[in-house]
Amino acid sequence: MENLVIENLKKAVTEGDIEKTKELAKKVLEIGMDPLKAINEGMAKGAKDVGDKFSKGEVFLVELVMAGEAMKAGMSILLPKIREARKERKTFGKVVIGTVKGDIHSIGKDIVATLLEAEGFEVINMGEDVPTEKFVEAVKQHKPDILGLSSLLTATMPMQKEVIDALKKEGLRDKVKVLIGGGPTTKEWAREIGADGWAGDAVSAVKLAKDIALNKRSR
Amino acid sequence: MFELLSRDEIQMLHIAAMEVLERTGIMIQHEKALHVLKDSGADVDFKKKIVKIPEFLIREAIKKTPSRVLLKARNPKYNILVGDGNSYFTNGFGAYYTIDFETGQRRLSTLKDLEEFTLLADFFPTVDYIKPNIIPQDVPKAILEQMMTLAMFKHTEKHCSVISLTPEGFRDVIKMSMILAGGEEGFRKNPSIIDTGFNNVPPLKYSAEIIEMILECAKYRIPFDISTGALASGSSPVTLAGTIVQGIAENHAVVVLTQLVGPGTPIMWGSCATILDQRYGTAAYGSPENGLIHAAFIQMAHYYGIPYYGAAGVVDSKVPDAQAAYENAINALIATLAGADVVHDAVYGILEAGITACYEQFAISNEICGAIKRIAKGIKVTRETIALDIIEKVGHERNHLTVMDALKFTKKHLLEEHWQSSITDRSPRSEWEKSGSKNIVQRAREKIKEILATHKVEPLEKHIEQEMVNIIKERQKLSRIK
Repeated sequence: MENLVIENLKKAVTEGDIEKTKELAKKVLEIGMDPLKAINEGMAKGAKDVGDKFSKGEVFLVELVMAGEAMKAGMSILLPKIREARKERKTFGKVVIGTVKGDIHSIGKDIVATLLEAEGFEVINMGEDVPTEKFVEAVKQHKPDILGLSSLLTATMPMQKEVIDALKKEGLRDKVKVLIGGGPTTKEWAREIGADGWAGDAVSAVKLAKDIALNKRSR
Repeated sequence: MFELLSRDEIQMLHIAAMEVLERTGIMIQHEKALHVLKDSGADVDFKKKIVKIPEFLIREAIKKTPSRVLLKARNPKYNILVGDGNSYFTNGFGAYYTIDFETGQRRLSTLKDLEEFTLLADFFPTVDYIKPNIIPQDVPKAILEQMMTLAMFKHTEKHCSVISLTPEGFRDVIKMSMILAGGEEGFRKNPSIIDTGFNNVPPLKYSAEIIEMILECAKYRIPFDISTGALASGSSPVTLAGTIVQGIAENHAVVVLTQLVGPGTPIMWGSCATILDQRYGTAAYGSPENGLIHAAFIQMAHYYGIPYYGAAGVVDSKVPDAQAAYENAINALIATLAGADVVHDAVYGILEAGITACYEQFAISNEICGAIKRIAKGIKVTRETIALDIIEKVGHERNHLTVMDALKFTKKHLLEEHWQSSITDRSPRSEWEKSGSKNIVQRAREKIKEILATHKVEPLEKHIEQEMVNIIKERQKLSRIK
């Protein structure tokens, strides 16, 4: 029974079927299964499959996003039980991500966030036009492993530097790895402003985040 | 020559766009602009910064928008009247990287690249006015727009479409343009010595900076292009019709604002929209859908009586290969055949969807666009060109290389009838082998070398250049204090 539920959960997430995923998540609780197992072996595996295939150009973005939505819907049912049991879900790491102040572009940043989730990161997407102090607050509050800063405008690129400088001022700079991206940004710009990394597309961004997470673990 | 939409379809798209403007509205993150719109009868939610624009405001604004835009050049022989029925071509915009002409390595773009690409654009006959092909990475941000503008003014006699990235930088660029126009008064009379361009932030949004710069244009009546940057299935509906509806609404919001603030400001109305590639999450500009979007948008622009400006000819390929050539050719050709007034990005010296400039690609695209312009010229059918007498004179036994009248007729009409290619190979095999069996990329290299070594433009007058340099120095000083 458990195995069948796990298999179906994986399938429902892969297919981006939100209703089915929710239904199955409720079943997990009904039959008294370990919700962590349902996530790790079922939903997360389904999401990762879709993420891997997207990285290879084998599935469409719309399928990736819908798989992510299905996973989130299932999690919303299972997470409260996990917290009740005072257990914690192991993730690849925690990422806070957002587009800097003055910039309202979202698409690229959202693709990165979705792909990170599919790869097993916990992602806090702060949205667009995020003031520097909000980023600093989020780093304090969520203690992420990685902070992702997106800028699609030449005019707002300096805000990426401002966030990094603000982190330094608050003594938080060594607590978090800062990755930057977005149309006009370059590897050289990342170096200039003291970021820890730069990626020009979503797949490289996730690879970079994974490298950082693995490095941290091995330390 | 190519009409995609029927009258009913045009009407459907128009009505849908009016509904979007009135029902969903546009987010404009600029307090003053929202007040202008509110005072004129639009419904504004200042908290959400969303303006809902009734159809009568659109109609009034369109009435005030000129049907043509005269773009003036430093050398008047390059003046062009956008909207006169011809398709005018520009080069590409804004590459951050360049494939080094000497080493072949991809590296960050430099100011020298911008100078050279501008000089090449000055030389290439297919480029009718010039966009900033390169955004140099070796110039401090505080004086980037100013340095770019000076580099462009210095290296071409054609009309320059200047860069506008930040309001502060753009104001300096306007000051520099005033010097070119012989002072502020001269500029106010002749603001079309420059133009510039803007995109929105889809879906249905405009940032404060963009609006600030649009208001600056409206103040001086500086012509500009406004083009939706929608990506179908990402920032606009997956359906091309839905993307066009959204784009019309996005463009019209700016037409309304501009004509309220500066009635009669010339606008080129258009699209940089394309599809999002769902497999990679990238913008696919070389796609056939891109051409279709332009074809439909052109009909919409002309329905409104505003010149159309579209980014058709952008290349996704990362090398100047067969993919690059086909992508550049199909969309620049479709846009031209559909009657685009400006085909932006037609003469495309860039690869990788606008990211990496490539010298060889520029010469190849000039070749492609030469052919497209020939197609656009069409066939001249007159008593003279149907050549009845000549056909009869040559008859059956002889040919057009053996009859003197036919030879004279050929000589008279050859250059206007047959396009003369520059780096296309049509030589006999023996000739081709003798000259090294080169492909088009190699021939493009040679052509570029030759142009860069020999092509000269009339320098700016010393005092004009000096005054522009002074503006840049002033800004540099201010930025250091800051």
